[in-house]
Amino acid sequence: MCLRGELISISFRFILSVMNRMKHIIFQVVAITLISSIVALVFNAFSPNGINPLRKANAVAVREDPGPGESGMIRVITLSEFLVLQESGAVIIDARTAAQFRKGHIPGAILLDYYQMGYYMDHILPYLSPDEPAVLYCAGPLCDDSELLAQELYNMGYMKMLVFKGGMEEWEKSGLPLETGDNDPAE
Amino acid sequence: MELKELLFETGTVPDHRTGQRSSRLFHHRYVILGFRLLLAGVFIYAALQKIDKPRLFADEIRMYGVLSENALLYLMAIILPWMELFCGISLLTGFFLRGSAAVLLVFNAVFIVVIAIRTVGIMSSEGIAFRDVYFDCGCGFGITYAWKKLIEDSILLVCSLAILTAPVYRFVLPPGK
Repeated sequence: MCLRGELISISFRFILSVMNRMKHIIFQVVAITLISSIVALVFNAFSPNGINPLRKANAVAVREDPGPGESGMIRVITLSEFLVLQESGAVIIDARTAAQFRKGHIPGAILLDYYQMGYYMDHILPYLSPDEPAVLYCAGPLCDDSELLAQELYNMGYMKMLVFKGGMEEWEKSGLPLETGDNDPAE
Repeated sequence: MELKELLFETGTVPDHRTGQRSSRLFHHRYVILGFRLLLAGVFIYAALQKIDKPRLFADEIRMYGVLSENALLYLMAIILPWMELFCGISLLTGFFLRGSAAVLLVFNAVFIVVIAIRTVGIMSSEGIAFRDVYFDCGCGFGITYAWKKLIEDSILLVCSLAILTAPVYRFVLPPGK
């Protein structure tokens, strides 16, 4: 028991001596963390690309094959379903970057770069309606930007979001026509 | 300890007669200056690539599978690039130099561990060799081979360690004695 107390005392003194020698480093590390955090949070609050760290992310499920009667989610659609919706005049949103969009996009699509949402949102809002479906796509089956963007829009009250998971990859593979150049609503 | 000493800690002039030869070379004032410039360049560039793209950066952190989608992940995506920028500027100016080296030492150690874990995960899930694994590490430098990134981060780790353990700093603002 006495030996154990001695060992604890030695360990405690050792930690204190190390802390004493490192106190200026600890002070600087704490200061760097605090200053960076304050600047970062203020910048994030005013930046159009800022995010709310307390948001409920991915609260809405994205499902490929919803069961009968399932609601309150974002549905993934196939190319044939996409073509029908395109024909009926549904809003089509390209969630990729402006550079990718300019190179080639699905005819009639409007650009809403997921990572620049703040920049595009004001220009996109007139196209959206809570009661009308909108289809989102990105580069292909492996990208999830269209799903993430659909979830953001769903949380904003646009609950008829659909995701064309095949995206540009499936569109191009099917030999369907492309539209090039700017259709950038923010310009 | 005075505030000035805490902010602009320049260390004490070492006794070169007693130091190890390798340690003297490692801590030579021009070697330390080179390490500082290298680290500052890398981290300022990386920070500027991510600083206004918290969504993208949060996605990239999420890909490591270490953090699930929660407030901590988003706070990290918001704050981490600013810490990198702060440390980069500190390395250039000498302000909070040892603290910045300590932060970057921890960052590089963590980067190496998470990149190694993700690499092993990709190797087992895709059935590919170590040398063929490549992905966007979220470092701000785009898609790269995992082995290359691990070597780069190891070099940066050694640079951070050298700066952190340097007995004295030269070329700092305000100039040391």
